[in-house]
Amino acid sequence: MQSVANGALNAHEKLLIDQAVAEHAGRPGALLGILETVQAANAHKYLSMDSLRYIAAETGIPPATIYSAATFYALFNLDPQGDNVVCVCRGTACHTRGSRDLLEKLCLDLGLSGQEASDTNEADKLALTTADRRFTVRTVACFGQCALAPVVEVNHHILSHVNERTLQREVKALNKGGK
Amino acid sequence: MPTKTISVRIDGELVTAREGQSILEAALANGKQIPTLCYLKGLSAVGACRVCMVELAGTDRLLPACTTPIQEGMSIKTASAKLTQYRRMAVELLLVERNHICSACVSNGHCELQSLARSLGITHVRYSYNNPRMTVDMTHPRFVLDQNRCILCTRCVRVCAEVEGAHVWEVASRGIYSRIVSDLKDDWGKASNCTGCGKCVQACPTGALAEKGLSVMEMVKQSDAVSRLATQRASLVNGAR
Amino acid sequence: MAKAKADTKYIICNADEGDPGAYMNRNEIEGDPHSLLEGMIIGAYVMGATEGIIYVRAEYPLAVSRLTKAIEQAREYGLLGANILDRGFNFNIQLVQGAGAFVCGEETALIASLEGQAGRPRPRPPYPAQRGLWDKPTNINNVETWYNVAPIVTRGPAWFAETGSAKSPGTKVFSLVGKIQNTGLVEMPLGTPLKSFIYDIGEGAAPGRRVKAVQTGGPSGGCIPVEMLDTPVDYESLAQIGSIMGSGGMVVMDEDNCMVDVARYFIEFTHSESCGKCVPCRVGLNKALRILNAITKGSGTREQMNLLDELGRMIRECSLCALGQSAPNPVLTTMRHFREEYEDHIVAHRCRAGVCQELALSPCENSCPLRMNIPRFLELYQEGRLEDAFESVILDNPLPASTGRVCQHPCDNRCRRQSFDEVVNMREVHRFLADAIYQSDLFEPMLERIRARKLAPTGRKVAVAGSGPTGLTAAFYLAMLGHDVTVFEERSEAGGMLRFAIPEYRLPKSVLRKELDLIEGVGVKMVFNTRIGFDVPLNELASQFDAVFLSIGTWKESWLYLPGTELKNVHPALPFLESVARQEKVVTGARVAIIGGGNAAIDSARTVMRMGASATILYRRERQDMPAIDEEIQAAEDEGVRFVFLAAPHRILGGADGSVKAIEIVKTRLGEYDKSGRRRPMPTDEVQRFECDSVILAVGETFDQDFCRASGLELKEEGTIIVDRFTYETSRPNFYAGGDVITGASNVSNAMSCGKQAAQKMDERLMGEQRWERIFPDFEYSRTAPGEPSLSRRHAAHDLPAALRVRSQQEVVAGLDPKEALEECRRCLRCDLRATVTAN
Repeated sequence: MQSVANGALNAHEKLLIDQAVAEHAGRPGALLGILETVQAANAHKYLSMDSLRYIAAETGIPPATIYSAATFYALFNLDPQGDNVVCVCRGTACHTRGSRDLLEKLCLDLGLSGQEASDTNEADKLALTTADRRFTVRTVACFGQCALAPVVEVNHHILSHVNERTLQREVKALNKGGK
Repeated sequence: MPTKTISVRIDGELVTAREGQSILEAALANGKQIPTLCYLKGLSAVGACRVCMVELAGTDRLLPACTTPIQEGMSIKTASAKLTQYRRMAVELLLVERNHICSACVSNGHCELQSLARSLGITHVRYSYNNPRMTVDMTHPRFVLDQNRCILCTRCVRVCAEVEGAHVWEVASRGIYSRIVSDLKDDWGKASNCTGCGKCVQACPTGALAEKGLSVMEMVKQSDAVSRLATQRASLVNGAR
Repeated sequence: MAKAKADTKYIICNADEGDPGAYMNRNEIEGDPHSLLEGMIIGAYVMGATEGIIYVRAEYPLAVSRLTKAIEQAREYGLLGANILDRGFNFNIQLVQGAGAFVCGEETALIASLEGQAGRPRPRPPYPAQRGLWDKPTNINNVETWYNVAPIVTRGPAWFAETGSAKSPGTKVFSLVGKIQNTGLVEMPLGTPLKSFIYDIGEGAAPGRRVKAVQTGGPSGGCIPVEMLDTPVDYESLAQIGSIMGSGGMVVMDEDNCMVDVARYFIEFTHSESCGKCVPCRVGLNKALRILNAITKGSGTREQMNLLDELGRMIRECSLCALGQSAPNPVLTTMRHFREEYEDHIVAHRCRAGVCQELALSPCENSCPLRMNIPRFLELYQEGRLEDAFESVILDNPLPASTGRVCQHPCDNRCRRQSFDEVVNMREVHRFLADAIYQSDLFEPMLERIRARKLAPTGRKVAVAGSGPTGLTAAFYLAMLGHDVTVFEERSEAGGMLRFAIPEYRLPKSVLRKELDLIEGVGVKMVFNTRIGFDVPLNELASQFDAVFLSIGTWKESWLYLPGTELKNVHPALPFLESVARQEKVVTGARVAIIGGGNAAIDSARTVMRMGASATILYRRERQDMPAIDEEIQAAEDEGVRFVFLAAPHRILGGADGSVKAIEIVKTRLGEYDKSGRRRPMPTDEVQRFECDSVILAVGETFDQDFCRASGLELKEEGTIIVDRFTYETSRPNFYAGGDVITGASNVSNAMSCGKQAAQKMDERLMGEQRWERIFPDFEYSRTAPGEPSLSRRHAAHDLPAALRVRSQQEVVAGLDPKEALEECRRCLRCDLRATVTAN
């Protein structure tokens, strides 16, 4: 889906980027750090094309390199995320305890079309956002909370031993209270 | 710059090589052929296609000839039943990964992928075709990028970065979803870094990058010319070190 | 590294713990970040490094914040920064967060990531120690290595080498997760056998389940079958069997895990984490994933299995980095050790674990040996259609009244209601439906209706040897398919174990009679008192029949070689039960000891009670290890049968008249786990004596070796007939075999399953086409799931009070009444219905 064009960056956004660049300049992992900072500061937790272009201009890194890094790592989003981010863990322990079914049920409930390991799926990682932008469903390979399997992170809050009912309840609650 | 001469065996024959050469360079210098796809003389070697794997006496591990340094006393075998099988499989995999339709391609008859397939005796593939939906970018005034024909060898990326210095091309995403992109996945015609030099087109082994308006007979790639340029530039850079 | 001369040298801690299922590093860092820094500072001092980097994954926010604080504190204490401890040594540590790429755990990819690029591995040589981060000498190690530095320096290398094995000294932290009782992190010396982890630390599988395999090393590792659990956990031993140590993850799997799905899961992971640089990993894993998807959906082929094998080896040998090189391990190991599961999916379209949804209608149907369409008959009866419901049942299961009483109901283990309240009592419902038809005047019209479904006569004649559940089932289906079927039975009546072993109070013979009436009613001919191979040679059968099915069961007693078994009143269980079933006079004495723990032992004990004697069962393991059906054991206990566990028979003592006086047993204690997942009983020195006047030996049944040897068919080493797993063909054309004679003593439903499948295959062979589906009716019924599940409790069958039971052979379990049956049907959640979302 096309990224939402929010026009050129405003002064505040540019300042943020300038600060991030200055903080990380010359250090190992600089680009990663800059992208992480800029994304975290964005209201919709994503990297807009304009911000990427600005970063390229300010750092002198070729735009292609920046685009390559931004699309390589699963953490970076080039599309605005929904108001609520639900992340289902697909690690081994969670998979053994049924996280695939949880994921399917979640997508079903939110009206997101069938998400299996689709062979012909063009999306590079599972990150589906509902049309009304209320929810984004993602997966993570492992949270490292295997003893609490199956694990689902809702808005950065880890839920443990999740089953279909508890997940449904969470989603309903968010829908009601949501922005 | 004088480098040490070493002696190695290639396919049973005792030959000389220079320290610092890769197995591939040593073989080519001695007139031995090893098939390649992602290697282009003068550009950095990346070991991406895995077509140039060779056998080394004393170990079961196969080695990529283009990135493995030649060492004194090595005994290399460049062809065997297993190597041929694996080379065939590598080409088979490339053929099914995207949409390589020779009969409709401008590089028909002078494509490195096609030639390699023919020389390996590939008549059909045993895996099902992926048939992905890939795009074609014709926004550049002079050139075309057809993703259907790209084998992700990254020769275009390397020649643009190492020889022209424009850094237009890179590989975006990862795994099977990897794609060559220009700048921030801009239309090639809008990629401000592009100088229009056309080296990427000449470096490209297939018909993925091509010149507009040329017929099949005309679209023969000048990869040797690119190699010469690249080698010159590399020695300039090395000399400056 | 120390020798390398450069203005800047880097040391890096790889804390990008990407293995799903591994979370040791997280715990280690969160628990004690200081030791990590200590190790790195020491390392930097020794190697002359000036810059340190900890690359930690972003998914560990707590670890990141604690490490940040620890670094600050170290600076405050002067342990980081300039001139550390006045040694003229400068060293700084910086924290870098990963961004969600498993491949960045590979050292050259990690370096590329630090250099501001996509994390794609680079060719080695040059190795990082020569030219690493920005071409400077770089040392990279994982978290645990750095943690080990300070202890080794303090206590010396000899101390470290004390634990572990010669080539793999020291300890490692393992994460033990999956289908075992205790999951968590455990630190053990290297070289500890896998068995210890699973059974001693993990305490084995959940009750009622058995461990099937262990995956070590995460997605780069391999699946190790339970037979190889003696393997020591060290780097070399694991590599030798096709797996790796990796991060130390151990995922335990039981029979509810489908190994094909496991392989597919791991390939899914490595495929999505592949950087895409090299062809074998990028495209090879994609093709492997597609093949595995096809297999789990039932559309895989044998050729694809060969392709998968070839792909696996090529990807392993040609990939650029360790991700690709190890990604095929789960596939290659599961194909090696669990080939049967792949073949089941491909040839029989069957997923025994019940995981692959496209291969089963519903979990209950998948677990049923006869693959009964359970939701259908439950729905049909709900709609008030008794006859339709029965027809649905009978064509799936020709002995619904018998199985409705004696089946071990694997469906109960799978019914989805178990996560909600209590499982649906499916067995009792099909028993109710059968009883309702058989015990009424609806029987005759129903028989007509079923006969009408028979296919036209084919002119082919089929002989079936043995009228037990296997033979009866095969005969029923073959007759329905239009063949002329004759069953040869060596005894005087049909039914096999149903007639002559299972007691009257469990399965009234009048009930069995009705079922036999139906089977004979569809045209099956029975010839009694005729023993195949003896009264009728196989060659004669071959000349008279187009196909022969051998289902002679396991009627030979396994003997127990004990002093005293030659005494009077020592009976093997099967002949004892048969005599009772024939209503012959049987003298048992007043105090009977029964040796064994299976259904034959329980049946014998409860029968003995009904004859007015007392019964004591002696079993060498514990109650939960008994192979008998749990409710039978419970019923026996209720009726007053005495159980003595951990008692192995030692000798039987007799009196002067040669009859039994007492039995001595040796107390056992449970030792190591054996391959069946149970602990082996080991004799102790303690001997106990039980007064008794007869002994029944119920230690197992086996097949007729003599018959097999004389048959001229090719035999296995154990002596039974070799059959093709999928077609039931023996080595002789047109001769098939199935049931207990092939599998060993099993139970009624499994035996019937063999008969059903064999009938299908035989028909295919005889007629040259697939006609099986034609005998089954199509029913129209509701495909709407219940809006809200019925909240009614599970309806159980009605047991006679225990005190009353032992007075007679009256059936002890009365069935449901119509209202209860209806309510029970309503409890079904209709797992056979599937929802799809269409894009709008």
